[in-house]
Amino acid sequence: MTAARRLLRSIPSWQVTLAVALLTLGFLIATQLQTEAPRARYTSNERIPLVETAHELQTQQDGLKQHLLDLRQQIQTIESQGQGSAVLSHDLDSQVRQARTDAGLIALQGQGLVLQLRDSTKPSSPGDNPTDYAIAARDVRTVVEQLWLAGAEAVAVNNERVTVSTAIIDIGGSVLVNAAYLSPPYQVSAIGPAGLFDQLNGSAGFRKFVRTRVEAFGIQVGFAELKDVTIPAYAGVINLRYARPESTGPSPAP
Amino acid sequence: MRTPRNQFSLAIVAAILGLLVIVQLRTQSTGAGLEALSAPELTVLVANLNTRNDQLRAEIATTDQELRDLQGAKARGETSVDQLRLDLARVRAWTGLDAVTGSGVRVTISGPIAAAGVQDLLNELRNVGAEALSVADVRVVPGTVVAGPPGSLSVENRTLSDPFQVSAIGNSATLTGSLLRASGIVAQLAATFPQVQLTVVPVDVLRLPATTRNLLPAHGTPQL
Repeated sequence: MTAARRLLRSIPSWQVTLAVALLTLGFLIATQLQTEAPRARYTSNERIPLVETAHELQTQQDGLKQHLLDLRQQIQTIESQGQGSAVLSHDLDSQVRQARTDAGLIALQGQGLVLQLRDSTKPSSPGDNPTDYAIAARDVRTVVEQLWLAGAEAVAVNNERVTVSTAIIDIGGSVLVNAAYLSPPYQVSAIGPAGLFDQLNGSAGFRKFVRTRVEAFGIQVGFAELKDVTIPAYAGVINLRYARPESTGPSPAP
Repeated sequence: MRTPRNQFSLAIVAAILGLLVIVQLRTQSTGAGLEALSAPELTVLVANLNTRNDQLRAEIATTDQELRDLQGAKARGETSVDQLRLDLARVRAWTGLDAVTGSGVRVTISGPIAAAGVQDLLNELRNVGAEALSVADVRVVPGTVVAGPPGSLSVENRTLSDPFQVSAIGNSATLTGSLLRASGIVAQLAATFPQVQLTVVPVDVLRLPATTRNLLPAHGTPQL
């Protein structure tokens, strides 16, 4: 025993540090290899190019949306400069700006609420469907609907503005909003009156969501009431191919 | 440990250690991403992204033309009033601030359907390209939600009768086909609510009224 102690004391401290570091290194390499192993099982020749294509298309989409927002901003700037009849043009410009604000084509900033939805970490019970423990489009839609009913005036999911044309759908275990692929966790942001969360939390619909999804399956819902929430502008298609407007709205001032 | 060689060895080990920690953390964080989807799911996702990107390119082309027209008019010192009027009409119609007409489908719903079922139908109609929607002649706009228990549904404080109709303007063939396909939304609703009947009819001319809802934000400030 004494000999062993003497031997330990004889080892320089830097060698002990290096040994600990190498031990951790080995552990991390083993963990990394184990993490990669199950994924490799699902990886097939057809999936790899599909994943790459999806990533590429999503990146393209982000660029296209930014381009569209830039063009709309330039149009707005020119329109606000008011060519021709100054009074008529100014009045029309303010109507266009108001309509764009109503439509969600202009970003909005104000007091509000951010809810974060995460998959459950609870192990699924025997006989349960494992997908019940993950966030689905229906969950996101329910939260958005309950926020509208609680008085929200603008809502976004992971920075995708919810507009008149927004669909929230499932593709496998993922959620698409405005046809944009969103990665979990899902952050549902809303601007609304003070006490928006109290209103939401007191509603029968939200309580049912908590009972059936949070309490039953362990879906995680976090929230933060913020003085400053930004809901981005909608960057998508507003062209109508089948619907024709009946009028151009309120007449401009003479 | 005092020699530079030992310090160099330790630094190398620490660097590799740091790199592995980062790789491991990134691996964990992307676990629920695209890599978790199956090949058929990825194919659907790619198709969705392609369609959406094509639509965005078309919208960019239209918007770019609009911008060039405006710039040309400005350079010539001409009025931009006509362009403003067109822009206003388009945005107001899309938002639901003005009534619109067009072809589409009418879905008649009778029986005790849940509010979530109607919301699912509206979501699916948006997903397959409906340009304007109404529920019992109430225009669906941001914030419009069908609520209440089955048999006592309401929308915008208006009670829904039994039966009531959901109208959608869009490509009537596409809308009808999507709604009525096997395992489509009509089949799903019929399975979930066996006492509910849904009838889908293509219509040549539908008229959807303007919303009565005030959409102007009262608590948020537009970032112009």
